[in-house]
Amino acid sequence: MKRIDALKIIDTFFAANPLVITCGATAREMASFSRRDLHLPLLDSMGLTSAIGLGVALGTNDRVGVIDGDGSLLMGFSILPTLAAYPATNLTIVVLDNGQHASADQVPSQAATIELSGAAEGLGLNTIRCNDAPTLDAALAQSKSENRFAMIFVKIEPGNSPDIPLLLADPAVLAQRFASAIGSSSQR
Amino acid sequence: MKQINSRHGALVAGLMDWGIQDFIYVPSSHAAPIIRSLESQGVRAVMANREEEAVGIAGGLSLAGRKVAIVMQDNGFGNALTALATFAIQYHLAIPIFANTRGGLGEYNSMINSISESVPSILERIGVKVIELGISDSVEVWRSSTKAVAQLAKIQHRPNVTLFEALHPSLEEVE
Repeated sequence: MKRIDALKIIDTFFAANPLVITCGATAREMASFSRRDLHLPLLDSMGLTSAIGLGVALGTNDRVGVIDGDGSLLMGFSILPTLAAYPATNLTIVVLDNGQHASADQVPSQAATIELSGAAEGLGLNTIRCNDAPTLDAALAQSKSENRFAMIFVKIEPGNSPDIPLLLADPAVLAQRFASAIGSSSQR
Repeated sequence: MKQINSRHGALVAGLMDWGIQDFIYVPSSHAAPIIRSLESQGVRAVMANREEEAVGIAGGLSLAGRKVAIVMQDNGFGNALTALATFAIQYHLAIPIFANTRGGLGEYNSMINSISESVPSILERIGVKVIELGISDSVEVWRSSTKAVAQLAKIQHRPNVTLFEALHPSLEEVE
């Protein structure tokens, strides 16, 4: 499965829910076909995506989605025990694992040779593994129906979609729209 | 287990005056009494393993409309810098951060001053407002300033940092 195909599935599933999206090609590919106020694309801040998602989930009753990458998760790996220590039943994290830093000239990540989901599982996190669109669809549905934290690891093809434009949005505007959309007063 | 001193108690009181709902902390022996006091008063606590992780979690809570603060130690700003600059500042997030200082009177660590002494200038260089609370400030000033800087973060939609002295035991109750 290509990343952009996984993104379309996730976007559809979280159409009415807050969705925090990791930086680089992932945020750009999502913005190329879908922009919603409930999207919080990160324009940098690699390694923070799942931490931000945990914060949003702890602050709202809505189900919150996070799209992280293997490289970004590895950069902020200390979030895994925190997710285990402070379980947010309304949080679903989808890790798109292509085994490389696709936005950094496709340098291989450590996930190319190790299984990241094993670490999450070892910490007691509810871990689901997917390899294609039907299993991703099923995993998302399962996370919603069970109403508990889920960390979904999805193997995707390496590389980026061609001809995707840069995402030159103002982060302050993105944050204001996101906060307003989830009923927050923090940015008003 | 350390007892909370009067000024650190005033900092907690200032946060309660503000209406703090959540705080994210990175463990620090000097801030431990503050952390325990906030928890004992029913403020939801999340312990982060690194300071940039604390900024991420606090930022998410702030976006969700919560009154959230970070409690940490000043030597952790080396870890937190990119998160502060590219996330908290750029996304206009109201996060008051309260960090105890190290490297001053009573310090027992021979090298921590190499980061701690530079923290105010590093933060100011990236545009983070820095407020300092010291032993020459009264208990009343600690309490009112804490509430005021937290309010300021919300008003300005920006993080700010209060660097507070973790007093040497022999100086703790000096007025």
